[in-house]
Amino acid sequence: MITLEEVSYSYPRGGRQAISRVSVNIEPGECLFVTGPSGAGKTTMCMAAAGILEHEFGGEKEGKITILGRNVKEYASLSEISGHVGMVFDDPEAQLIFTSVEEEILSALERRGLSAEEIESRLSSIMEVTQLTALKDRAPHALSGGQKQRLVLATTLALGTDIVILDEPTAELDERGTESIISVLKDLKAGGKTIVLTEHKFTKFRDLIDQMIVMDAGRIRALGKPGDLIADEFVKGVIFPDYSGIRDGSSHSPSDEQKPLVSIKNLEHAYGEVQALNGVSLDIFPGEFVAIVGENGSGKTTLIKHLIGLLRPSGGTVLVDGKDAGVAPVSDLAHSVGLVFQNPDHMFFADTVAEEIMFGIRNLGIPEPDMVLKKVLDATGLTHSRDLYPRWLSRGERQKLAIACVLAMRPKVIILDEPTTGLDGREAREVMEILKHLQQEGRSIVMVTHSRQIAEECTDRIITIDSGRIQSDIRREG
Amino acid sequence: MREILQYIHKDAFFHRLHPGTKIFLILVIGVITLLTLDIPVLCVILIAVLCMAFIGRVLREVLQQMALILAMSVIFILITLITMPSGEVLGYLIPGGFLPVTTGALYAGVLLTLRFAILIISFQIFVITTQPRDLVNTLEKMGVPIDYNLMFLIALRFIPTLQIEATKIHEAQLARGYAPGSGFVGRIKSVAPVMIPLVSNALARTTVLGLTIDMRGYRTRTRTPFREEHMHLLDKVVCVVIGMVLIAFLGIRVFPLIS
Repeated sequence: MITLEEVSYSYPRGGRQAISRVSVNIEPGECLFVTGPSGAGKTTMCMAAAGILEHEFGGEKEGKITILGRNVKEYASLSEISGHVGMVFDDPEAQLIFTSVEEEILSALERRGLSAEEIESRLSSIMEVTQLTALKDRAPHALSGGQKQRLVLATTLALGTDIVILDEPTAELDERGTESIISVLKDLKAGGKTIVLTEHKFTKFRDLIDQMIVMDAGRIRALGKPGDLIADEFVKGVIFPDYSGIRDGSSHSPSDEQKPLVSIKNLEHAYGEVQALNGVSLDIFPGEFVAIVGENGSGKTTLIKHLIGLLRPSGGTVLVDGKDAGVAPVSDLAHSVGLVFQNPDHMFFADTVAEEIMFGIRNLGIPEPDMVLKKVLDATGLTHSRDLYPRWLSRGERQKLAIACVLAMRPKVIILDEPTTGLDGREAREVMEILKHLQQEGRSIVMVTHSRQIAEECTDRIITIDSGRIQSDIRREG
Repeated sequence: MREILQYIHKDAFFHRLHPGTKIFLILVIGVITLLTLDIPVLCVILIAVLCMAFIGRVLREVLQQMALILAMSVIFILITLITMPSGEVLGYLIPGGFLPVTTGALYAGVLLTLRFAILIISFQIFVITTQPRDLVNTLEKMGVPIDYNLMFLIALRFIPTLQIEATKIHEAQLARGYAPGSGFVGRIKSVAPVMIPLVSNALARTTVLGLTIDMRGYRTRTRTPFREEHMHLLDKVVCVVIGMVLIAFLGIRVFPLIS
């Protein structure tokens, strides 16, 4: 269906080649799984295969790309190629143009020369497959991350192309959301579509994969059937996150006389009529590494925002480091609690990594700023990037920078919302190692995650939240 | 979150009208408003527009914009007081003979405010009662180039998204000890930590947005007519009424001026 022969590409802004001498032959009806660290060239490879680089981007191109046996150069425009190839990009928000689910899907169906009856029947079948029927009048900004992903996928399906390319379609989804995308892809594959997929969650997609590519620094590091590749050490490190040794076995159970750093009693929070938290009580002690797990919408993020005063309780109390988080100003609580948000791009505004870190240091008036900066860069492995522009870092490095920014404020409790989003196995491990180190320094770490594996292999205590209540709170000894 | 200029799904009078009828309506309201120099007449038009919002069951949404309109009116009146003093002096803004409040300037300021309010409210009624898809299709049929249509559509679509994103960024910076400065200079300076990520993220989205539009064949392929809105009897009646109002207005107000 698509072949790439010795394809290399550098973006117009210069720098090293984003992909280098990439060759692959994608057979009709197969599913090609592309994985590798962030910044390895996976997205660039997808855009090459979709004919986007040839038709829409400048930069230096080498090699030959054919789609359905025709050289991409022979196609008149991207629009002509898009009759055969559909692409789902990684940011769903940027791919939703209309203001309701149904309009969005129709916008793709209406421009295919179908009859009105056909449009009607395809519209309803696509909404059914992607479980969007009940949401048809919903506006994009009122959809959850998983729903947005499904809508973008639905719109691409509406284009009816034989080839579908998906760039990290489940990056921000919980287990249930990921399963629902996988089940749609299984149907597509059964229907004979060719699928190219970049992902980190190898284990979940395994049944679907015919051929697999592991990329690193723009090159294909390994190519072949998954069964033949998984023996390779590098491949293993990328596709099977390994957190062994992160839990060091030392017990962090609080002794009786120890006082909790965070004490939450009967916390309730309501957004209008919706009760998001329903009587949550818990204590967090110094030096604990806690995971908070639960599905999207269970109340995890609502809970952690209370610790730093971004949300105030509708009922109950939250005490943090002796301060009442129900009334204390956020700037005061920030001395005790550092919150790392899920998307690091929501905080970067400075011109260099070092300045970005200095923002928090200055805001809180931390003494000896230069020494703190140096220590923090060192702890997060960013010393070599201190003068780079934050937005040009890879996703893995941006996540580390987000942690560095918060760490520089010297909080006693560090809270992280999904810190491994979009990272491969090796990068996720690096982040966990940083967190473990911070715990050993005596800080409390609270991490919200979808991943049961990370929770079980890295933390000492797992709190499960469901529908705004604590379902279980398990401390693990040793 | 209060949503600005977003379509609201309802079954009410204006929702049932064809987008073309509504475009005709706001154009006529615009023409009449801009040709009127008479404050009482503008007040009547404003009341009529608010009655339209009531009939269309969107009065609550319209009234939510009142804070903006009041703020603008204060600015308009201040500007006219400073820049176009004329007529009698009623008093001084700064005691001691500075910044005179004159009847002419006051008149001009109130006139601007009323025109502004009428245009904003009628445009708002139009946008929140028209499904964006119908709006775009109608504009396309009227010969508006698709690129301009898409610009309009995308601007509407991203208003709430940017609002949500700005909140998230603001929270992220608060958690970093960011304290919005006080005083004028402080306020301007404190804009950077929120505006830079907001604008950078929005710009980062434009590439994918552009590719998505092209890959859906928006600008190249033709659209199959589907679930087309047609002009119903109600539309025809409304159009005739609007036409008569326009003719009557021109007859009473404009022709005497020409002859």
